[in-house]
Amino acid sequence: MASPQEREETLKGLTEAVTQFDEEKVAELSKRALELGIEPGDAILNGLTPGMERAGHLYEQQEYFVPELLLCSDALNAGLNILKPLLRTEASDTRVRVVIGTVEGDIHEIGKNLVRTMYEAAGWEVFDLGTDVNMARFVEEQKRTDAHVVALSALMTTSMTAMPEIITALKAASPRVTIMAGGAPLTEETAKRYGADGYADNCGAVVRQTLKALRTAREA
Amino acid sequence: MTLEDRAIRLLRGASVDRTPLFPFILGFCARNAGHPVATIYRDAERSFELQSWTHEQYGFDWGPLYGYASYGTWEFGGAIKMPEGREQAPSHVRFPVQSEGDVISLSLPEAETAGCLPVAMEFSRLQAAAGKPISVVCAGNFTMAGNIAPVGTLCRWMLKKPDLAHRLMRLATDHIIDVVGQWCDTFGAEQVIPQFWEPLTANTIISPKQFEGFVLPYLVESAEKIIAMGVRHLLYHICGDQNGNLPLWAMVPTGDPGLCSFGVEVDLTDAFRHLGAGNVIIGNIDPQVFLTATPGRIYDLCRAAIEKGRAAPRGFMLSSGCEIPPDSPPYHVYAMQKAIRDSGKNG
Repeated sequence: MASPQEREETLKGLTEAVTQFDEEKVAELSKRALELGIEPGDAILNGLTPGMERAGHLYEQQEYFVPELLLCSDALNAGLNILKPLLRTEASDTRVRVVIGTVEGDIHEIGKNLVRTMYEAAGWEVFDLGTDVNMARFVEEQKRTDAHVVALSALMTTSMTAMPEIITALKAASPRVTIMAGGAPLTEETAKRYGADGYADNCGAVVRQTLKALRTAREA
Repeated sequence: MTLEDRAIRLLRGASVDRTPLFPFILGFCARNAGHPVATIYRDAERSFELQSWTHEQYGFDWGPLYGYASYGTWEFGGAIKMPEGREQAPSHVRFPVQSEGDVISLSLPEAETAGCLPVAMEFSRLQAAAGKPISVVCAGNFTMAGNIAPVGTLCRWMLKKPDLAHRLMRLATDHIIDVVGQWCDTFGAEQVIPQFWEPLTANTIISPKQFEGFVLPYLVESAEKIIAMGVRHLLYHICGDQNGNLPLWAMVPTGDPGLCSFGVEVDLTDAFRHLGAGNVIIGNIDPQVFLTATPGRIYDLCRAAIEKGRAAPRGFMLSSGCEIPPDSPPYHVYAMQKAIRDSGKNG
């Protein structure tokens, strides 16, 4: 069993290694955490996740850009690959479930992948549909997973116009689902006009904005 | 003043009767005459015809163009698919580079036969025959590299394996020089106005420091070599939020003058300040508004840009900041010409 000091050092090391995109260090410390008897969930939520959150803040502050975020995401995944399989899943798993995809007609995925990483770093369960996803597929997957959130991504002005129809169909099938919309051509105003419940203008803000949208939905 | 007169006079620094209207409009031209968007990219003759009709109808001043942002994927041995449904341009299916080994074994494509180049050459023969600017369109150096390997891979290699990133930039740069050289040999360097579209250098993707280290040296090299061939004007489409890169873009030789087009993310005043002394500035109406705004709003945005454009040291052409969406309502596109007619007259 890890001493409080060992636990703190290991978790702090994980956080720093993610922020410094040191994949090898993250893998090494993830294994060490298990050896020390640190719960995988603890290592993820209090070690890996803060590292990715810090990376997101650095992106918002324009100190990190996409290359750094991608490498931080790789480092995070190096740890998740070791720790996640050993997570104890409670019968009543209360994690937020998210379906994510780039909308039909759009094959861009960097933004969507970074958002997925931020959601995973937050400990949420993500069902990634990939790119060029049509309305029916979004609706089907939301129902299959009973996802709390559906996150729609578009990089092009032409593909974002698919969003209103998708959002209408999702709401008709599951009125309580929370829809997030994002991507380069979108603004908060456009997302709202399309019927989305929330919007984030960069991946660093996406977890915060999604939580805000979920809270608003609960209070409604 | 004819459309050709206006464009040529602007490049020569002579006065023009009104603000020119530069066409960044491709798929719309197909839909405008009842054709699928893919025709613009598949069929040189029909593409030229469709664009010419729309330019005539809406008063565009430059001339038909052939090109797309995913240039490089097909040319270097990957695969693209033609647009269908909602898609507005050719898109990647398979990147030429999937692994580090692929980078090492990658070779330069033939500038006559690779990918879309036979169609592009046929298109340029039509430009030449019609007396229009001969505009070979390539992706810019970094965007092409990001079309050869997926941009996420390129970004990772920039930090972790810079030699691989530099190799891709080397290949992209050499290919650009080959293609422009091919066009110069065919049409005469003075007639060729190459265009380079650089969306992947936006600061939403890479930092100004990464632009300076990984992109700028190659941009400068290819531009210098192209100008040394005798090309007089280069056009760079500086897409997206590139505000952090503007002082660096100012170091890229572009001809006398060059042409630089911008999206809504860059204020025209900043564009004039950094690049206006050496370039005709083009832009910068947000393409999104053609779908989402009212004609009145579009008209007002165009008028505001026209007024700002009067301060451009080497001239200004009104345009959308990126391709006008193919599904744009026709009257929304007309709002650009209406704004020029009402506010764009000179003298």
